[in-house]
Amino acid sequence: MLFDTNAYLGPYAFRRLRHNTAAGLLARMDAKGIDKAAVSSAAAITYRNTQAANEELAEAVRPHRDRLVPLAVINPAYAGWKDDLAICHEEFGMKGLRLYPHWHRYGPADPCCLELVHLATERGMVVSIPLRVEDYRQRSWLVDVPDLRPADLVPLIKACPKTRFVLVNGAGFAGSPLGQAGKDLPGNYVIEISRLSAVLANEIGQLLARLGPDRVVFGTGMPFNAPDPALVKLEVLDATEEVKEQIRWKTAARLFASP
Amino acid sequence: MPTFTRRRFVQAVLAASGTAVGAGAPAVLAEGAPRHGGAGPVIDCHAHLHHHGEPDWKEKDRRLIEAADKLGIDQLCCSILTPKRPASAEGFRECNAWAAEATRRFPGRVLAYCYVNPGHGREALDEIRRGVLDRGFVGVKLYNEHRCTEPVVFPVVELSIELRVPILHHAGHSHYFVADQPRMSDGGHLAELAARYPEARLICAHVGGGGDWEWTIKALRHARNVYLDTSGSVIDEGIVDLAARVVGVDRLLFGCDMSMTAGVGKIRAADLSPADKQKILGLNMQKLLAWRA
Repeated sequence: MLFDTNAYLGPYAFRRLRHNTAAGLLARMDAKGIDKAAVSSAAAITYRNTQAANEELAEAVRPHRDRLVPLAVINPAYAGWKDDLAICHEEFGMKGLRLYPHWHRYGPADPCCLELVHLATERGMVVSIPLRVEDYRQRSWLVDVPDLRPADLVPLIKACPKTRFVLVNGAGFAGSPLGQAGKDLPGNYVIEISRLSAVLANEIGQLLARLGPDRVVFGTGMPFNAPDPALVKLEVLDATEEVKEQIRWKTAARLFASP
Repeated sequence: MPTFTRRRFVQAVLAASGTAVGAGAPAVLAEGAPRHGGAGPVIDCHAHLHHHGEPDWKEKDRRLIEAADKLGIDQLCCSILTPKRPASAEGFRECNAWAAEATRRFPGRVLAYCYVNPGHGREALDEIRRGVLDRGFVGVKLYNEHRCTEPVVFPVVELSIELRVPILHHAGHSHYFVADQPRMSDGGHLAELAARYPEARLICAHVGGGGDWEWTIKALRHARNVYLDTSGSVIDEGIVDLAARVVGVDRLLFGCDMSMTAGVGKIRAADLSPADKQKILGLNMQKLLAWRA
């Protein structure tokens, strides 16, 4: 069993994506042995009104809810976001949020973000935060959106101890407070592996040792990313089969289960 | 815990294209096949050993070999760079002496590029001759001290033609000024250099090393004597597929540039035939290295 905590549907503004329809993503998942995926809209990253993208996503995943777990992209600096949150949760049955603070021009510790995360937590929703969309060095001439650094998320994570955070598309956790045990941080976040090393510096191994086996989850970044690098990591990682099962799906299944 | 064997790795990489590996698989797929030589080697065309100024360089080098073992990589084509650049002549000579020592420490496993800063003129050329002729280095590594179209680089290219060795050239194309690499080359510069020296064999480094990889691939379409290395940390879906379509599989070289699982995973993900993947994984590099022989 494999649960991909980091997948997307729809178009992206700056590059053609393949396998980005529900059928296409499912076919790719089948080919790679991936059973379930938490998906959000790639279009929502650059739409001004992200709710239009959430509507598209809800429609796309409707026949595939057994395998695709939809996440809403909400911009708490945009008009009507509380209504959007309610619709995404109550009507669309979305299990969580995916937030893009830098792309949507707010800070992860800004009051609007804290309010959104608190309201989502009250609804029992998971909060997924990509630390980047693409490699910063390949950015279009139209945009200049810096990556979130792991340390940027510390105030938000501390302020929302009851929230279940899934941090995706990140690296450098081992050298940040988020990668240290006993740093006065709640254990309310898990870290996804698509950008973490499994050999050489072996950041995955470091995080497993410091945070525990239930704090690291499988994710690919499909269809932005090829899924195979994440799969190769699981194959070469020095860990017991029991730990790998937690990474592959057990922790994610628990996170995305209804509270 | 299941062991990740070389056989499993190669089969997975080849089978990922949807074609099963069967009885007709090349000899190298057989369990216990020799790590080096034979058909279908896996050669990482872009790797680095560690500068001996790092206190744990030996352990880091050991980990690189260990990672290659896990991933089924037979040979690593390595250079050692100076920590500060532009490199002094003394600095690159020291690095190359360590690289030569590494080829003895890991015989047949580590192949070495001779790293020079072309700005040092005669000293750079002497160092390349020493590396290739006396130490058996397999190529030249150029970084970002000079853009590859600057005349100061030309004698190095001419010597590489004389010695029949490729040049692995650092490259990347961003749509902004990269302040810490003002003389970085890109695929367009390498294509220009290749047109000036059609006998040269150039390797454009790490298409996945950061920068607009679609731009790089398109810039190299007509540069028949430029190979493209697939290494780098960027694992965007479709890099290798687009490169195969535009540049052609015969000019693609598998590499990791220390992003080991990214390097392997990109090849595994590509929608190419097993035969084409074997070319990329090592046969193309093997042929390129045979130029000197």
